[in-house]
Amino acid sequence: MNRSYLWVWVFFFTCAICVSIPAMAGEPTEMVRKTTDKIIAIVTDSSLEGPEKAAERKRLVREAVSEQFNRKEMSRRTLARHWRKRTEEEKIEFIDLYGKLLEQTYLDRVEGYSGEKVFYEGEEVDGKYGVVKVKILTGQGTKIAVEYRLKKAGDDWLVYDVSIEGVSLVNNYRNQFNSIIVRSSYKDFIKKLKAKVEKQ
Amino acid sequence: MRIFFRIFVFSIFFLGFFQATCFAAEEAISSISFQKGGGYGFLIQDVGGSYLVAVMDLDVSQEGNHSRGRARPLSLCQKDSSEQEEDEEEFDDIPEGEMEVDFIRDPFEPINRVFFHLNDKLYFWILKPVAAGYKKVTPDQFRICVRNFFSNLLMPIRAVNCLLQGKFIGFGSELLRLLVNSTVGMLGLMDPAQTALKLEKQDEDFGQTLGLYGLGPGVYINWPVFGPSSVRGTVGFVGDMYLDPAAWVSIDFGEWFVIRGYEMVNTTSLSLGEYEALKKAALDPYVALRDAYYQYRQNKIKN
Repeated sequence: MNRSYLWVWVFFFTCAICVSIPAMAGEPTEMVRKTTDKIIAIVTDSSLEGPEKAAERKRLVREAVSEQFNRKEMSRRTLARHWRKRTEEEKIEFIDLYGKLLEQTYLDRVEGYSGEKVFYEGEEVDGKYGVVKVKILTGQGTKIAVEYRLKKAGDDWLVYDVSIEGVSLVNNYRNQFNSIIVRSSYKDFIKKLKAKVEKQ
Repeated sequence: MRIFFRIFVFSIFFLGFFQATCFAAEEAISSISFQKGGGYGFLIQDVGGSYLVAVMDLDVSQEGNHSRGRARPLSLCQKDSSEQEEDEEEFDDIPEGEMEVDFIRDPFEPINRVFFHLNDKLYFWILKPVAAGYKKVTPDQFRICVRNFFSNLLMPIRAVNCLLQGKFIGFGSELLRLLVNSTVGMLGLMDPAQTALKLEKQDEDFGQTLGLYGLGPGVYINWPVFGPSSVRGTVGFVGDMYLDPAAWVSIDFGEWFVIRGYEMVNTTSLSLGEYEALKKAALDPYVALRDAYYQYRQNKIKN
């Protein structure tokens, strides 16, 4: 790049940073970026490599992820019309089991990390809801569109849904769970969910 | 090609037939129907004594892609008013559209499940071992080149569907992509149009075109070998075959089958582990795949 252009860019970025500090534009994006960077740092950390460090690696990733996800919100949306029929204990039990299932799914995905690049393509904020759009570039040159849906809770933006190429995780589980509950019963469904989580 | 034509006619016939039976079934479960402002709705008695109110929007002018077979926002009503209040309080702040119960009809679930299991076995017993062996003996870059080559050949499908959908810029970039990739890109083995000129591949097919025109997906079909599809997807797939250059040169079905088979192995070798991941994360892999297919296609139509 031409040298004079470089200074233009530096000036531009300085301005951009000055403007953005008071407004803190892109809070949801920052939230997603922070967690993503943290996870990539963990899985690429050479001191954590190897199968004997797998447990430690998992623990760190789990910690980083659970900070950012709103489990209750996800559970509520996933059970949808079955949610309000549940007692408090049932709700707590479901949140716990579902959380573990999601965690495992996420950990499996992260374990397969092989230098994919993450690009932040913009965000939309509507009141306390936000969408962060991300493109993941794989080693084979394919681009995967990922969308994080976040909700503001206090000062934090917490993720309640992730969609990959338009396939929403919450919608997918909602349809699966609903089909089981409708065909048998909630009790049967919980039994299945428990078995699934324990098997992993 | 006569066989394709027959499949095409056959699917069109079935499209009409499926839609008719589905509507008949839908009307049968409605205990009360009502008409309201361009749409219609019906009440279904739910197991818990509550009523499920399904409102189907028939107002075509709104988005242009509503039709009888499309998703219906479901709202919930409860006999007990106190519970309803709690419910409203809980759900009132959810952005519009996100609590939609969106799914594809699946009246042939038992048959589809049989084919799902068949495909599952085909994958683990044949396709996966072959693809894994192929992956071992060929470098990644080679397989990416093969993928690019096949993808370049299928340009007519994407270009024509861009035109049919009124995406003229997309059509232009597909033309340029063909020109650049077939020459500089060494017969399409490379993709300099993407890497150097930032001309993105336009992932359009006839199924998406039909969806954009307002045709619903019909019902879900899990084809043996071909996998998840819908009535609309199948009609689209058959329609696109006429734009496949393989249909223009005179090759017999056997040759076509070998070429497609090789392409399938090559594609699989680049995406090993994806199906396994979906299966591992799912409580009911069949429903997970059905829903993922549906959501993925609906999203494609929107873009």
